[in-house]
Amino acid sequence: MTTGGTVPRAPARHTGEHLMAYLFLVPSALVFGAFVVWPLGDSVYLSMHGSDLFGGASVFVGLQNYTDMFTSGEFGHVLLNTLLFVLLTVLPGVLGALVVVLLLESQIRGARVLRTAFALPFAFSVATASVIFSVIYNYQIGLANGILGFLGVDKVGWTTDPHMAMVSLALTTVWMNLGYNVLVLSAGVGAIPGEVMEAARLDGATGVALARRIILPLVSPQIFFLVVVTTIQSLQSFGQIHILTRGGPDGATTTLVYSIYKKAFAFGSSDFGAASAQAMVLLLIVLACTGIQFGVLQRRVHY
Amino acid sequence: MRQRHTVRLLAAAAALTTTAALAACGGSDSGGSSTAAPGADALSHAKGVTTVEFWHSMKGPNAVALNSIASRFNAAHKGKIVVKPVYVGEYDDAIAKYKTSVQQKHTPELIQVYDIGSRFMIDSKQTVPVYKFADKDKWDTSQLEPNIANYYTFNGKLDSMPFNSSMPLLYINKKLFAKAGLDPNKPPTNLAEIMADAKKLTDRKHNVVGFNAAIYGWFLEQLLATNGDQYCDRNNGRSGLATKVDFASPDGVKVAQWWTDMVKKGYASNTGRTTDAAQQAFKSGTVGMSLESTGEMRDYINASKGRFDVVAAPFPRLSGTGSPNGGTIIGGASLWIDGIGHTDAQKRASWEFVKYAASPEVQASWHTGTGYFPVNSKALDQPSDKAWVKQYPQFTVAVNQLHSTKPSVATAGCALGVMPQARQSAEEALEKTITGGDPNAAQANLKAQADALRKPIADYTRAVQK
Repeated sequence: MTTGGTVPRAPARHTGEHLMAYLFLVPSALVFGAFVVWPLGDSVYLSMHGSDLFGGASVFVGLQNYTDMFTSGEFGHVLLNTLLFVLLTVLPGVLGALVVVLLLESQIRGARVLRTAFALPFAFSVATASVIFSVIYNYQIGLANGILGFLGVDKVGWTTDPHMAMVSLALTTVWMNLGYNVLVLSAGVGAIPGEVMEAARLDGATGVALARRIILPLVSPQIFFLVVVTTIQSLQSFGQIHILTRGGPDGATTTLVYSIYKKAFAFGSSDFGAASAQAMVLLLIVLACTGIQFGVLQRRVHY
Repeated sequence: MRQRHTVRLLAAAAALTTTAALAACGGSDSGGSSTAAPGADALSHAKGVTTVEFWHSMKGPNAVALNSIASRFNAAHKGKIVVKPVYVGEYDDAIAKYKTSVQQKHTPELIQVYDIGSRFMIDSKQTVPVYKFADKDKWDTSQLEPNIANYYTFNGKLDSMPFNSSMPLLYINKKLFAKAGLDPNKPPTNLAEIMADAKKLTDRKHNVVGFNAAIYGWFLEQLLATNGDQYCDRNNGRSGLATKVDFASPDGVKVAQWWTDMVKKGYASNTGRTTDAAQQAFKSGTVGMSLESTGEMRDYINASKGRFDVVAAPFPRLSGTGSPNGGTIIGGASLWIDGIGHTDAQKRASWEFVKYAASPEVQASWHTGTGYFPVNSKALDQPSDKAWVKQYPQFTVAVNQLHSTKPSVATAGCALGVMPQARQSAEEALEKTITGGDPNAAQANLKAQADALRKPIADYTRAVQK
């Protein structure tokens, strides 16, 4: 913000400075315009048109794509799946990382090695992690069912049972996010001043009390950051769904992003109109989530 | 002073953007927009080297074999033609990219499209049908395997050149068969027999199941064809644009019920819709029987070496001995020559390569390098091919299956503009029934998906007829 406002200046000089500022803004505005504003406008345009054979906009259909979307039971299902996926990935992902970090804080031997080990999933690409998990989850010969068989338990259709697939998918995602979450949180914990911890210990705070009263409030910015980032990430997840379940079985793992992909590109489909309408909904949801998180959660964050 | 500067800069920026936009819109239309086939003179009159960009979906050993075909061709046409193979992702991705390229008026000269994309390619009206070239050159189309050519023939005319063809087979783990007291030389021939044998093969204690296959729509299409059924109306979409799919027929229901029963009774495991998972399961040696393409044969044989023998058997009939007009449908892909936006020299160069790719010598090396079926019937007489078949005797089963299939409406397969989506829908109905575990729901599930396809089919038809 301009703090120079208190000192009166010649208006001519002012205009010149403003112009200069605009000039400096031009490059970023151009990039933003070309890669954000223009595609966004195009999505709105496409969402109000039918699609020709090649996915180009054909006739103007007004809000038809939107009414089709909201009147088909399928879309409600997709939204529910998306919500479920976000809940199953964000909360366990952040809480799990927190538990790991707190345990590692308790000065056990080899904590350094363990911290590195827990951060390792961060190094895996989505595709690599998904392929590894697809081998683990294979119904007939997978590691998971192998272990269950050894324990005398019935096989589980990890990715083929409609009731199980979302859980398996979330498990993979949580594992993938864990590394990054652990890194961010342990950096946060590491940044807590030593004297604060020492003072707390002198006052007799240990274990749970120390974690709840001292560490948690002090890493709340990091927790807040992770919740925002992983929520948006979850909303946009694609790779693990595509590789592990392809949105199935019986549509049980078709989230909003996967549904957009199915409409626009998958299986020779090129219904860009319907896909764009769904993309607008995704945009609104991401905006709303970010808004809510910044508005509500931020107030509870201790900076 | 400064203001002036800004204005000039803005003007320059505006000019730049306009030029870029113009460059993006223009170009590419230097060739004729006709889809007629140019003669050989188009190339001899061409100046310099004519480049053919060839979009394909082959990877791994298949890509190696394909690149080697292209480089041999390029060496023989040095200074005249250069074919540049470009991998554009899997078949579905390739079609998606192709659609974008049509919108941008920048299509490749040549593209490999999967079987079920054929109707779309015709309706896209971008290509020069290969029969036009064949007529001009008096190139004998009867050298192609009739069953394979049948798929790509519309109204009696060949629209694209088959390139990589495959068929489904029944694969058997010989060791498990022997262990269960079954005779691998007498493989099951229909679904009922598969169930009976699977029951004997299943051994829960040792994690052995009698049957496992991917829930792959292709298998349903094949099973229906063995019973002489059409998959879509209007003679499988070959006497006009189809208006609906028929997989919710009593035969379709029968397949869904059979599969559900198999899984429910524990004779079959369900590894989902991905073929990878089903292949891993069979290769692990814990699956008695599986359905897979001929293209997978080499991998199966090599992966099982030293652990168990793989027997290839004819693809099962849906019931009994099948229909006399029924049989398996060929799968795979064909080559399409783009016309719109390309010069006569480019079209001609593409055709020269297509002819070369379909020749007996090239098809023999392609077949032995990949395991795909040779589309040229003379390829099987090539010495290199004979040696290969000797090494993989299981392939004879595929040859016999292809040759014994009578070309008919059913075995030509359904040509539907939205066929990839239709296959997907059928898979979803099958999977829903199988995972739901209620065979009685089969009819409703299949019908719901078939009905839901009416809109995309109608939309497609409207877009074509516009």
